[in-house]
Amino acid sequence: MGDLRLMKGNEALAEAAIRAGCQAYFGYPITPQSEILEYLADEGRKRGMIVLQAESEVASINMVYGAAGAGARVMTSSSSPGISLMQEGLSYIACAELPCLVVNVNRGGPGLGTIQPSQGDYFQATKGGGHGDYRLIVLAPSSVQEMAAFVYDAFDLADTYRNPVMILADGALGQMMEKVEFPDYDPTAHVPPKPWATTGKPKDRPANVITSLHIQPEKMEQINLHLQAKYRTITEREVRYETLETDDAEVLIVAYGLVARIAHRAVQLARAEGIRAGVLRPITLYPFPAVPLRALAERVQGMLVVEMNSGQMVEDVRLSVEGRVPVAFHGRMGGIIPTPEEVLEALKAMTTQHPALHAEAN
Amino acid sequence: MARGKVVFDIETCKGCELCIEACPQDSIELSPKINAQGYHYAVLVKDNCTGCTNCALVCPDAVITVYREKKKGAKEPVATISNVTGNITVTIDERS
Repeated sequence: MGDLRLMKGNEALAEAAIRAGCQAYFGYPITPQSEILEYLADEGRKRGMIVLQAESEVASINMVYGAAGAGARVMTSSSSPGISLMQEGLSYIACAELPCLVVNVNRGGPGLGTIQPSQGDYFQATKGGGHGDYRLIVLAPSSVQEMAAFVYDAFDLADTYRNPVMILADGALGQMMEKVEFPDYDPTAHVPPKPWATTGKPKDRPANVITSLHIQPEKMEQINLHLQAKYRTITEREVRYETLETDDAEVLIVAYGLVARIAHRAVQLARAEGIRAGVLRPITLYPFPAVPLRALAERVQGMLVVEMNSGQMVEDVRLSVEGRVPVAFHGRMGGIIPTPEEVLEALKAMTTQHPALHAEAN
Repeated sequence: MARGKVVFDIETCKGCELCIEACPQDSIELSPKINAQGYHYAVLVKDNCTGCTNCALVCPDAVITVYREKKKGAKEPVATISNVTGNITVTIDERS
C-alpha cells in the first residue's frame, strides 16, 4: 500500500514527478496548470529538484532541451497557448532524440481563449505539433489518480524510446480534487544508462554531439527513416486503452480523458433504458488504439465519438474503422463540458437515425 | 432559524460550483468578476444563510469560512477548513 492523499490533479502530477526522480523543471505560469510550478517550486526544491520559472515558454522548452541533453530526467508543463509557443523546441528535441516530459493541461481555444477545460489540442498533441515529421507519445489521464500514475510511465517511455512524451490533461482534471495513491517507485531502477549525454568528454570516446541540424539531405533522410522506424516500434508495443461494458455492446462511445468518465455515466443511463452501449477509452492518443477499435467495429452497429472540441479524434476513429460502421460525433467547445444526459441524447439520435448516420460517416 | 454568513477566500476559489449545488437556501452564485487566476469565484447573493456549513464541507479547496450569528449578534466562526498540505481537517464550533 502506497501513500494515500487528497490532492488537486496538478499537485498530484507534481508530487508524482518528484517521486519519479525528475531532476529539473522549467516552466512559466499559466492557468489552469500553475499549481504544478507552485508545488514544485516549494516541495520540489526542498527535495532536491532544480525548479526555475523561465522568462517564457520558449525559454522553458529550450532549458528542457539542454537538461535532457545532459542526461537529466526533466519536464515542463503549460496550458494550450503556452504549449503552442513550445512547438519549435519540441520539434528540435524530437529530432535530437532526447527524453523529456511535457504536460499540457488543455484549456479552451483558439487564441488565448478561456481557462476552462477543453480537448482542442488533440491534433497538435498527436500529429506532432511543430514542424517536420515527428510524433510525441501522448498519454491521456482521466482521473487525478492517473494524473499521478502516468508521470512514472511517461518518464519511463521517454527514457526507453528517447522521445518526448506528452501528458494531455484538461483544465478540469488539473483543478479537481480526488484521492490519489502514490506507489513505491525507485527511479534508480528505471532510468537507463545514457551514454549519449553531453556530460563532459573523457579521453576514451569521441565527443557526444546533440543537434537537430543536418544539412545533407541524404543524412536527414536517414534520420527520418530511423525516427519512423522508432514510431512504428512504439505503435506496435505501447498502445494503451480501456474498455468499459463492451462485451455485449451494440453501440460504442469512444472518448478519452475527462469525457470518458462522462461517457461511462451516459452508458449507464443508456443501459437503464435498454440501449446496450459501451465505452472505449484511448489512454495513448499516440500511438492510437486503431487495432482494438477495428476489432470492435466488427461487433458493434455504430460508434459515437464524444470530445470537448469540434471533432478531432473522430478522424482517427474513422481512419481506424475504415467505414465498417457509421461513426457519429458529439462535441462541445470553448470550455463547455458535455453532460451525461446530452451524450445519451446523441447516442439515441444515432441509434434511431441510421441513414443520416451513414451520410455523416461519408 | 439560525442566521449565518459565509466568507469566501476568492483568490483560492476555482469556480467549481459545488457549494452552489450544496446550498439548501440557494444563497450562492458565481460572481461575474474573476480572480487573479481568471476564475469566476463564489459569492453570497442572498441574505438568507442559515450557517448550515454544507458549502464549507463540500468545498474541495477549503475556500469557505462559515460564521453563525449568536443571539446577541456577535459572530464567531463555526467551521474552518484548512487544506495546506493535502490533509483536510474540519473544526465545527457549536458554541453559538
